[in-house]
Amino acid sequence: MVHVKLFGLLRLDTGLKELNAEAGSVKALYPILLEASKKAKPDTKITAADIDGCIVIINGAQSKKSSRLSDGDEVWLMSPVCGG
Amino acid sequence: MSTSLGGYMGKVALVDLTTQSVSEYPWTDEQRKKFIGGKIMAAKILCDNLKGTETPFSEENLIVVTTGPLTGTGAPSSGRFNLSTISPQTGYITSSNCGGSFGYYLKRAGMDALILKGKCPERSWLVIENDRFTFRSAEADGIWGQKVTPAQERMEAILTEQWGARRGFGQMVIGPAGENQVLYSSVISGERAAGRTGVGAVFGWKNLKGIAVTGNHEFHISDPEKMTRWNSKWFDYLRRHPLTGNQLPRMGTAGLVSSMQMRGMLSTKNYTYGRYDDFELVNGETLAEEHNIVNRGCLTCPIKCARTVSVEGKEVKGPELETLGLLGGGILNNDLSLILKWNNDLDELGMDTISCASTLAWAMEANEKGLWSNGLKFGETDGVSRVFEDIAYRRGVGDELAQGSKRLAEKYGGLDFAIQSKGLELAAYEPRRAVGQGLGYAVSNRGGCHLNGGYLVILEGLGLFTNPQTPHAKADFTMMFQDLMEMISATGQCLFTSYAFFPGFLITRPNGVVTRIANAAIPFIGWAVRGINKCPTALALHLPVFHHTKGVKYATGMPMTFGKYIRCGERGYTLERWVDVRFGASAKVDTLPKRLTDTPQDPKDPKTKVPLEQMKKTYYRARGWDQNGIPTERTLKKLGIIE
Repeated sequence: MVHVKLFGLLRLDTGLKELNAEAGSVKALYPILLEASKKAKPDTKITAADIDGCIVIINGAQSKKSSRLSDGDEVWLMSPVCGG
Repeated sequence: MSTSLGGYMGKVALVDLTTQSVSEYPWTDEQRKKFIGGKIMAAKILCDNLKGTETPFSEENLIVVTTGPLTGTGAPSSGRFNLSTISPQTGYITSSNCGGSFGYYLKRAGMDALILKGKCPERSWLVIENDRFTFRSAEADGIWGQKVTPAQERMEAILTEQWGARRGFGQMVIGPAGENQVLYSSVISGERAAGRTGVGAVFGWKNLKGIAVTGNHEFHISDPEKMTRWNSKWFDYLRRHPLTGNQLPRMGTAGLVSSMQMRGMLSTKNYTYGRYDDFELVNGETLAEEHNIVNRGCLTCPIKCARTVSVEGKEVKGPELETLGLLGGGILNNDLSLILKWNNDLDELGMDTISCASTLAWAMEANEKGLWSNGLKFGETDGVSRVFEDIAYRRGVGDELAQGSKRLAEKYGGLDFAIQSKGLELAAYEPRRAVGQGLGYAVSNRGGCHLNGGYLVILEGLGLFTNPQTPHAKADFTMMFQDLMEMISATGQCLFTSYAFFPGFLITRPNGVVTRIANAAIPFIGWAVRGINKCPTALALHLPVFHHTKGVKYATGMPMTFGKYIRCGERGYTLERWVDVRFGASAKVDTLPKRLTDTPQDPKDPKTKVPLEQMKKTYYRARGWDQNGIPTERTLKKLGIIE
């Protein structure tokens, strides 16, 4: 089980703040997030490509989409932002 | 004096507050072409009128209120105006920029700029209706002593009675902090702030509570048909861009908090750390989900970055990223509701949230270290609202806090952790994880400002992801970004329009091949950026991602290219430096506190500090300044600053 937290526009667009999921890789999280998002926000227009464009942080370190996940990992998915 | 150029009204008014008389200040088309408007125009006026011996609180110090040639032309985000003076916080030239509609109405009154000199013999406010200037008693009108909103409401009531309800006007006021010369007092126009560098204190010293302006002059645009078509394209581009059309409208600058946490860039406990454990309680997502009512924008702005939140039953402006960072993790406060309230309190009192919050954090650390017993403690928020009032009204500990962190540290010790440069407190971006931003803070003409410093964080983790610890190419990009933003501001536009300079896919596809190549290449292309900086006019073209150049061309009729645009910005930046030099600036004041240059943020990683001296040398060389940070005669002549 991994714990996933969402940040930025991804969080607003999916209606999801965090969730627990069984997934062995970051990419394996995509369908789980899409399914959960449909329940949390029925009018969501989020796609796998949107999730794919996010920055991935695993246990505090920036990581790749291809990274493997282990039980107990904390995964942050963050929409890119800039400008302040 | 008239003008043959479009975009300008052709008049600059010189107002003597002491004698309450008005004359026309000579300003030629040649000067308009060289010094454009906004902060660059103001720097030229200050350069021509100040010797370097004037103090901020003196009759000789000027306040220069300027607009830009795009103000009122319908160009996107062009409802801005600029206030320049000698800052009481830094002792150097400052330009404090503000949104809203004051600039538009100043031009409707037939003026591109106002110069205020002297000091009102009694507490006053100034009403301008076309050529008619009227000084009114701020005390008899019940405005002096009022906080910002009641003061503006009272002014509005008086003017509505005088002009009728249908007449639009612009206004700006100071709050009690400005009246009492708190060094970091702001000037507020509507709900927007010329927040930084203490311009409000200069207004207060000059006994000037505020200005209201209206008029019925028509704007003249050089090529109105092309301008209208171009503006339409430009609006469309900004609305389609992922930053200016999606992220900023939906989350405002508050959306950066979580990214800064991720990058170790979020000022925490007075910049002791770069990550705040409770950041999720005070980030932009929580603000958007739990507090944001609607987003608002300034005149002609498609971005609409401002948050509107509810505080004590009233709809008020919400906090920006810097306020969230500094009044959140900066003082170890995890209560977002309190930040919303404080943000509103500080606006009402007329104080800069950044300097105030950072001074508070310094005082907490000074108390913790036993340097100054003041009762302020990290994480203890009960008395903070009262402290803000005490600062504005100069009572007790507040009277001391009103001086800002640098002066307090000079008195009590603790300069190493007074997070300021030239006396101006840094914004919430922790530069030990973005060393180019650290260089910018240090060399910025107006002190520790993230924007005047070039905003290199946009390359170093907030936007692109180039190596944030390497000094390579950072000086060259700093110069280029400073010059571009200098010119955007001078034309009267919001700097946020510059974010659309980056093609959208670089932002939305951070894992894409092109983005990864760009991130990897940036530290190695300093030579190319240096070449452009050295001879920008060789770029005699318009870039499809940078609409500003054609906007200026169609509005004014001036020949303009990307290269000329950068050169104008460079002229402005160096001119401001030249004025600063007159007031004693040199490499010695381009500094950061030792916490940021000598103490690694991560004790295990010696690279997590700002290699400032190394970058400064490269920066001065790139700018054509000598090793002491003084612009050389050759550079000044090349830029047309001296004959």
